[in-house]
Amino acid sequence: MAVTPSDVTVPGALEAVTGPSVGPRSRLRSGLGLWIPAGLVALIFFLCFVWPLIGPVGSPTGGNILEANLPIGSAGHVLGTDQVGNDEWARLLYGGRASLEIALAVNALGIVVGGLLGALAAYLGDWRDAVIMRVLDVFIAFPALVLAIAIAEGLGPSEVHTIWALSFFSVPAFARLARAETLRIRELNFIAAAGLSGTGPVRTLVRHVMPNIVPQLMTFALLGMGIIIVLEGALSFLGLGVPPPAPSWGNMISAGESVLSVTPRFVFIPSIALFVTVVSFNLLGDALRSRWSQR
Amino acid sequence: MSANGLSPTGSEVQPLGDGGGVAPTGAPLLEIANLRVDFHQAGRLVRAVDGLTYAVPSARTVGLIGESGCGKTVSSRAIMGLLPASAHVTGSIRFEGQELVDLPERHMRSVRGGQIAMVFQDPSRSLNPTLRIGPQITEAIRLHTDLPKAAAHDRAVELMELVRLPAAHQRFRHYPHQLSGGMRQRVMIAIALAAEPKLLIADEATTALDVTTQAQIMELLRDLQQRLGMALIMISHDLGLAASFADEVLVMYAGRGVEHAPTRKLFEHVRMPYTRALLDAIPRLENAPHSPLAAVPGQPPDLAHEQVGCPFSPRCPNVTDKCREQAPPFKEQEPDHQWACWHPCGLDERV
Amino acid sequence: MSSTSAPLSAPLAARAGRASRLAGSPTLRFILRRVLAAIPVLFGVTLLTFVVMNSLPGDAAQELLGASATPAEVHELSVKLGLDKPFVTRYWDWLHGLVTGHLGHSLASGQSVASILASDLPVTFELILYAFLLSLVIAVPMAILSARRPGGIFDRISMVFSMSGLSIAPYVLALLLIWVFAVKLGVLPAIGWVPPDQGLGQNIRSLTLPAVSIALPLLCFYARLLRADLIEQLQSEDYVVTARAKGAGPWAVLLRHTLRNSAFGLITVIALNFGTLLGTTVIIEDIFGLPGIGHELLTAISNRDTPVVEGAVLVFAVVVVMSNLVADLLYSALDPRVRYGSNPK
Repeated sequence: MAVTPSDVTVPGALEAVTGPSVGPRSRLRSGLGLWIPAGLVALIFFLCFVWPLIGPVGSPTGGNILEANLPIGSAGHVLGTDQVGNDEWARLLYGGRASLEIALAVNALGIVVGGLLGALAAYLGDWRDAVIMRVLDVFIAFPALVLAIAIAEGLGPSEVHTIWALSFFSVPAFARLARAETLRIRELNFIAAAGLSGTGPVRTLVRHVMPNIVPQLMTFALLGMGIIIVLEGALSFLGLGVPPPAPSWGNMISAGESVLSVTPRFVFIPSIALFVTVVSFNLLGDALRSRWSQR
Repeated sequence: MSANGLSPTGSEVQPLGDGGGVAPTGAPLLEIANLRVDFHQAGRLVRAVDGLTYAVPSARTVGLIGESGCGKTVSSRAIMGLLPASAHVTGSIRFEGQELVDLPERHMRSVRGGQIAMVFQDPSRSLNPTLRIGPQITEAIRLHTDLPKAAAHDRAVELMELVRLPAAHQRFRHYPHQLSGGMRQRVMIAIALAAEPKLLIADEATTALDVTTQAQIMELLRDLQQRLGMALIMISHDLGLAASFADEVLVMYAGRGVEHAPTRKLFEHVRMPYTRALLDAIPRLENAPHSPLAAVPGQPPDLAHEQVGCPFSPRCPNVTDKCREQAPPFKEQEPDHQWACWHPCGLDERV
Repeated sequence: MSSTSAPLSAPLAARAGRASRLAGSPTLRFILRRVLAAIPVLFGVTLLTFVVMNSLPGDAAQELLGASATPAEVHELSVKLGLDKPFVTRYWDWLHGLVTGHLGHSLASGQSVASILASDLPVTFELILYAFLLSLVIAVPMAILSARRPGGIFDRISMVFSMSGLSIAPYVLALLLIWVFAVKLGVLPAIGWVPPDQGLGQNIRSLTLPAVSIALPLLCFYARLLRADLIEQLQSEDYVVTARAKGAGPWAVLLRHTLRNSAFGLITVIALNFGTLLGTTVIIEDIFGLPGIGHELLTAISNRDTPVVEGAVLVFAVVVVMSNLVADLLYSALDPRVRYGSNPK
């Protein structure tokens, strides 16, 4: 995706991407605008994490080659089968689970580690701040994908390694945002008051600073879900993410690339899933942000 | 009841016009009748201006005085047609006989800046920081005349000299941040005068300036007004300022006019308890040091709620039940003196 | 007035005066400061690259010879390529070469890294430029029209469009475009790059689909950003009210006043974007088979061709750092408040 978190340090960029706070303030925004994407996100999570456990979903791997390339609507295979006979619907759901797990983990790491790091850097100030930021700058100066590729190459493709690789990208991004936000609220009096009353830096950080920067971080994380999913897709697309035969939307798209002219649905089905998921997260992030900024 | 206080500028209050000297001739330049401005905000209706009626004769200065939120700014923006889309305007605003309410926008645009101009409160924010001041003045000139670029340039410099901006030629190419607050306000006035308007509205034009600059700018406005024969609506919360510079004063409260008279008459015979309270609130040199400021107690009413009775009743020292039940009408009760009160000062036996 | 009466030294003196003023000028010092700050970052980047490359399993010799080679052969090649030297020595050698202007040679092909990069850079550069132009040409008018009537039909449609565009993965878009334009319609090529000297038209055609893949999410981002900024100004800035009070029409206000001011922010964002965009080009170049730096980098990583990787990453990092610097500079240069300083009375 063209938008990467390092862009959001430009004032207003975050707002612009998730949706400007200007524009029609109809009931649609506050009511449906929040619950529709929230519902979609919930549905996606349900389908990918819960449904395969309780519903009639086949196996994403180990398909029968004799059943390869069945079209959509075939008996027993609602979305058809892939080139080696795996059920597409199952692959879609399990692939979604893999992608979502990775995105969740990467963002969680980003918020926790990056958020603390950035807040700490801003709070401490002086040379410690400079050092931390220089180091993070090094990671940010690396084009995100390249770094992830190199690390994934080094560690070998797997879901866990993909999480590590992408974290090198998300942690600095969250750190930057957390730092900017902390700098903004550091000026506020109650932080100084906490310091004066003898609260130590870490305690102040956790109890006073963090709760105030969390809304911004959360919005960023929602936007980040979309970005990370796309990035993970890119990695898998290049063969460096989730290794086949385990599905991920990225490697499904990649597998479909070679037969694009013959059976485009191999590319388009996971692409649509990817698109809907990213849009839902973006809309949700937008709705939450305008909710919170209206307080 | 003499009203000899000192204005905040420290100079003695000198009512400019006595209202009885040179009577305004002919039809008034601006006539506002029963103006109502409602805002539709998030499902609520806020009535910012509630039945405002007054007239501005040509070449006269009318001081529009009131607290924040009383509707003085909203009413002047209504004159200019500068209200946002959420505003609903009813009533009549006639300028030289032409009705301005519901005038099609493209006609309004030739009136705005051309016949009626406005100077705003905060010159540091009212000028575009990324444009040089010269072009900001010539923009106003070229919007209303056919002057070519070079002629507009010369006229702009003329205007800058008219508003007593030093080194006008060099200043033309300066950016707003390179000028002091007072100079920026002069630029705003120059912009307003670009097309030789017949009416100038100064909306808290000096509030953001320091006291000395304030006096200078007011002097400039008075001088320009007399020289150019312009009418001036001077909006302020400062009654003392009005006393020094206005021919007539209209006091507003909660979106309505509550007292209107020529300046001297207003100060000598204050009728509305609200105006009385405003006058009393002006700090006086004669008072003993550390005597408490006579602030008006309470808050102005919430304009989102329908008002029953006189809007000032919760804060009025003269209040009776009649005030709370029935809103007093705003009308001429003495020659040239209008007010809206059941128990005006100086006339009520109880006071 | 005769010109020969002016002393010859006058122009020189004037120039010297200007030069000394320049050296003392805050802008130059600002640039110097930022450049100096960037050096440790670049250093860090190259070190990190080296560390990462070094920890990748296998090495160039292995990759070159393939799986069928014997350990002895691999070892022999390693020594020849200098891969048996300790990590620190190799990094130091490379650094030394860098400082003296040599980027080394590809372990895979022996070609000088500099010449490899030199032939790759124009491709990537052209692609990015094309993408940027496309995105701006569409984003700016789109934002202006939206801001003219927020909440109107055009605005709503463009908001939906831009939200969708932002949510599409570039590689998905690339494949979709290929399917529509190359497979179904057959009007644009799916792979390959034609150099400009072999036909400008062909050159542009070969870059169109890749450029659009990059440009679409980009333009959605810019359009939203610009729209938000324009609307914010129109709704809450006092100078907009002043302009209207002058009698200026809505287009004049939009274009002459607000667009000027938004331009600063947008240019800054573009400059910042420039570096991060390089990551996207990697995958796009791969899909479309464009011989650019991104593609080179991918190949080099899988070949464990460290000098090439270092060279390419260095180029990326320098571009990122430079674009950040340019963004900062542009912002201060364009904002007259910073340029002219305060000088009241």
